[in-house]
Amino acid sequence: MINLFKMDLHRFLTNKMMYILLMIYSAFQIFGIFMGKKYEQPVEGETLMSAMNESQFIQTILSQTPSWVMMYITVFSVYFYMSEYNSGFYKNYISMNNARIHSVLSKILTLGLFTLFMLIVMIISDLIGRAIFFHNTTIGDLGFFVKLIIGQFLLHWAFSIVILCLTMMIKSMIASIVIGIVLVLNVFGMVAGALESLIGNSNFSSYLLVNTIIRIKDFNDMNETIHVASVAIIFMVLFSLLAIRYKLKEDLR
Amino acid sequence: MSDAIIEVNQLTKKFKSKEALRKVDLKINKGEIFGLIGQNGAGKSTLLKLIGGLMFPSSGEIHLFDHAMNANHPYFERMGLLIENAGLFPQYSAYKNLDFVAISYGMKDRKKHINELLKLVGLESSNRTKVNNFSMGMKQRLGIAVALLGSPDVLILDEPINGLDPQGISEVRKLILDLNKSGMTIIISSHILEELSKVATKYAILHHGEIVEISSKEELMLKCEERIEVEVDNAGLAVPILENDLHIMNYKVMDDQMIFVYDSRKESHQINTVLVERGISVHSITKHKQSLEQYFLNRTGSEGDIND
Ligand SMILES: Nc1ncnc2c1ncn2[C@@H]1O[C@H](COP(=O)(O)OP(=O)(O)OP(=O)(O)O)[C@@H](O)[C@H]1O
Ligand SMILES: [Mg+2]
Repeated sequence: MINLFKMDLHRFLTNKMMYILLMIYSAFQIFGIFMGKKYEQPVEGETLMSAMNESQFIQTILSQTPSWVMMYITVFSVYFYMSEYNSGFYKNYISMNNARIHSVLSKILTLGLFTLFMLIVMIISDLIGRAIFFHNTTIGDLGFFVKLIIGQFLLHWAFSIVILCLTMMIKSMIASIVIGIVLVLNVFGMVAGALESLIGNSNFSSYLLVNTIIRIKDFNDMNETIHVASVAIIFMVLFSLLAIRYKLKEDLR
Repeated sequence: MSDAIIEVNQLTKKFKSKEALRKVDLKINKGEIFGLIGQNGAGKSTLLKLIGGLMFPSSGEIHLFDHAMNANHPYFERMGLLIENAGLFPQYSAYKNLDFVAISYGMKDRKKHINELLKLVGLESSNRTKVNNFSMGMKQRLGIAVALLGSPDVLILDEPINGLDPQGISEVRKLILDLNKSGMTIIISSHILEELSKVATKYAILHHGEIVEISSKEELMLKCEERIEVEVDNAGLAVPILENDLHIMNYKVMDDQMIFVYDSRKESHQINTVLVERGISVHSITKHKQSLEQYFLNRTGSEGDIND
């Protein structure tokens, strides 16, 4: 396991795609803040973007659909898995003891790392952008901020595992990215929400992963924090198991 | 215990409704070079993927090193695989590709090991070139190096000479023979029997997913050699005539009545005339000549399908 992860890590760190994605994201994020300043208009009852602290700012960014963070995670997850799958490189190690399980776990860890990098780049870009254009780098309540970041990290990591699992089954780069975009656009969440409002009185859709990611959350509320953590963990475990099970039975080309 | 290192019983593999392999039985002994021959789509790659643990059988059993394999068994680890195309990252160099595999094996001394292998397959000067820019033959060689990296007990090569130039082919052939001398068991597939015959010690012909024939090198050579078969009343009387009058030294007495003559300078009618002149009654005299390819085509009953 540790050796396969070392290998994936090596490939992860020597991979130009990762740095390109992070750089493009960072550039767009800072540009987005610039645009935000330019067209900022006060809305009744809402905090001005320039007056937000970092926690509020991140919540706002992540609640806009389509979420660019999820979009980048989708692209990277599909790319990282499919580039190996298409090259057939797995043939060189898959016959090792338990390599099928370990290779999936190792991909999951690598995606976790990318998710982490993504959030770190997001925070840094936000701070840079806000410092330049809003002259405001307040973070707000540190406890809240830490809970927000950890919560969002787990949720986004879970999302990357969902994408990984789907990619493994779909086995096509383009089709997987399209499905990923459909998920990012939260089509399922909206359909589920609409159905729910017809049936009335159910909050099932609040347990959907993407819905949970884009909802503005109050991490001071213990219930909300537990809700976020459990959604993240349930999706992570469920889709990890699905992915491993699939890989164990897969006929490789 | 048997001395078979790989044993396959009634192995069947179905894809959807199509049967790619049907009830395949075979045994491969330690130290053999086992040649698997079959046309496109015969099921060679499928069989090798099953033995290598890339795919799972629909039914039947695989025994490796005398152990029945269930899915994901550690014994699969002792197979070095080059199946269909070498699995390589095109955007990385030859060295880097080998390095990734070495890391996944948890290998110490990676650099030394990798450089040795690159040298072995004749790629030491292109170790920094991206695989993207490799020729087909170079990729194939690198694939062999990758398969050898884990010092496997069994090396499985699926059409390893695909895309190699004549010089490359002879180098790979030499490499295979050298590895075999050092004790490695090798399974090698091809659709050219001629080529396999230069290395393999045992052959299996696969046709439409079924094993049509398994034969040793000796049996195959016997079937395919060029010879004149002379059937006489009494071979003992005929031999001195062959030696003294016709100066044929290269012959084999098969039984009391059958002599095989291996002398391409002599024609059968010459032999016939001389024997009859000397009062030997010749029952039949036939020229036996069959190329390996012809033999293979006969066995797979497909002369008509192929225009060569
Ligand atoms: N993953 C798969 N899904 C469906 N059918 C498959 C799959 N792999 C192989 N087949 C079918 O099984 C049969 C045997 O294929 P295989 O690749 O083993 O042949 P082969 O002997 O290696 O041929 P070639 O000389 O062209 O490499 C073919 O008819 C092929 O179409
Ligand atoms: Mg094949």
